[in-house]
Amino acid sequence: MSDKVEIEARELVKSFAGIRALDHVDIAVPRGELCGVVGADGAGKTTLLRCIAGLYRADGGSVLPGRKGRNEVGFSPQGFHMYPDLTVNENIEFFGSVYGLDKKTLSERSDELLHFADLTEHRNRLAGNLSGGMQQKLTLACSVLHRPPILLLDEPTTGVDPISRREFWRLIEVLHTAGTTIMLASAYFDEVERCQHVVFLHEGRVLADGTVDHLTPGGMDLETAFRNRMSEDAILPGKVGFTR
Amino acid sequence: MDAKDDKAAQTNDFTREVSTSAAVARHASSGSWRRLRAITRKEFIQLARDRRTVALMVGMPLVLLIIFGYGIRLSVNGISAELVGRNSPTVRAALQAQNHFKVLVTVANSESAARRDLLDGRTSVAVIIAASGLPTSVLVDGSNAFIAQNALDYLRSLTSASGVKPVNVDVLYNPALRSADFMVPSEVGMIMLWVGTVATAIGVVREREQGTLEQLMMTPIRKLELMVGKILPYSALTLVIAVMITVLGLLLFQVPLRGSPFELLLFAIPYLVSALSIGLLVSTVAQNQRQAMQTTTFVLLPQILLSGALFPLSAIPWGIRWVSQLLPLTYFTPITRNIFLKGLGFTQLWPQVAVLCAMAVVFTILAALFFKTRLD
Repeated sequence: MSDKVEIEARELVKSFAGIRALDHVDIAVPRGELCGVVGADGAGKTTLLRCIAGLYRADGGSVLPGRKGRNEVGFSPQGFHMYPDLTVNENIEFFGSVYGLDKKTLSERSDELLHFADLTEHRNRLAGNLSGGMQQKLTLACSVLHRPPILLLDEPTTGVDPISRREFWRLIEVLHTAGTTIMLASAYFDEVERCQHVVFLHEGRVLADGTVDHLTPGGMDLETAFRNRMSEDAILPGKVGFTR
Repeated sequence: MDAKDDKAAQTNDFTREVSTSAAVARHASSGSWRRLRAITRKEFIQLARDRRTVALMVGMPLVLLIIFGYGIRLSVNGISAELVGRNSPTVRAALQAQNHFKVLVTVANSESAARRDLLDGRTSVAVIIAASGLPTSVLVDGSNAFIAQNALDYLRSLTSASGVKPVNVDVLYNPALRSADFMVPSEVGMIMLWVGTVATAIGVVREREQGTLEQLMMTPIRKLELMVGKILPYSALTLVIAVMITVLGLLLFQVPLRGSPFELLLFAIPYLVSALSIGLLVSTVAQNQRQAMQTTTFVLLPQILLSGALFPLSAIPWGIRWVSQLLPLTYFTPITRNIFLKGLGFTQLWPQVAVLCAMAVVFTILAALFFKTRLD
């Protein structure tokens, strides 16, 4: 793993209709690291990933890779966002062509990724008819067709059964081993525990970040550590709703 | 090799080509054409599988063809009439007394000059006055059946009320004053507008609803490639439907096509680009397909009502007639009507074609400006 930072948010601020979704967020992820962002619904995980991907323009601060670096990013949004009326093969062919892969490369990558994601025998099924787990694997396959060095995954296993979740994590680990820098947003503590670097995100602010060991002193589990940080955050002076 | 070994082999396969920025840049730079072809192909596949939409797009024009083919009669005032031969105060006073006619000051010198004025659309009625000062015959422009039918009715009541001996009336371009001859050419424009705008707006908004637009925004695809790739299949669909309506109009209603079909197709292109760009503009404000349909109706209804396709422009009050000047259908309707019924071509129709070309450029620029490649 290199020290070169591939994913970064510096003093990142983003608001929607006057409501601050991200409040001076600072995160730096070195090349090749697997970073997990954990927080409850509405914590700002999706907004953070979209800002990093350049899908949202930041109101303040800066991000890497951002819009200019989108060719180096594979992005897997929350939920199923492939074409349900195209087959698995057609979805892969479409995204491969859009990424500029030639026919031969596309065919090789398609075979490889379908095998890798255990979707080979489903290649002629309409994507809309796949199970939730298969759909997530297809989304992941399409987002890594162009071999991006950076991968952003927004709650990729939400609504997926436990067996498919395990399968999905196997794929993430393969990509991580291949040297891909990955940022994964999740609401599941057991998932982010697998990451080298964990960020606690709450109400648009970073409560803490570091390795799991660093965040969980004395054998505490990650969820308890997160709750403790939330409690500490709630008694900070100046916070809305603060009562001493 | 057991399953575990197999997966390990996959891992090795996958890790063999480690991601590098250079590799990605190489892929990203490889061709706008490939991306355009990919998105166009995808749209065609989706269109072919979306049988309900295709049925609606093809079925609706057929229903409209049948409905409009039988026409709608409406009373029209302010019909332009020209006195030919001499300025007869008696006839002029009789025409003006009715309030239905707007008598032109210009008096054509001969019947051939009057026919030219009718061909160019400078007048709808030409009354030929004999040396005695009495009308001998009347020429009526039948290419607009509403106006012609109303003019004939008014002329008949005029002759009987004023005691003037009924004159010989010769209706040109649509002698039988058939509603179909009037409506079918207009309908080509209305259908193209409807199909082009609705299909494009729905096509883009559906991508947004499915979340696939978000995925596309993360690819190297450029805004223009996405716009063109989205509208090409709908352009083809719209042109096919326009040809279908024309052929059915010719076969089913025996509507004459006196001008060049090639020119009709050629002049339809800037009009089609305008319609599709309006569809793209609608897609920039609509968040879902229901909103897209509502916005499209809001945009299309004034075009249908104020463009002269159904009601003559002269029947539209001056206060809102300026709106008509901003609508592409206002310029395409005289093109179709004049090519079908009068056999006119570019020499006479270039002003309308020029305005449509300008509109196509303006609407495309507006669509490109408002079409976002970010989510906020």
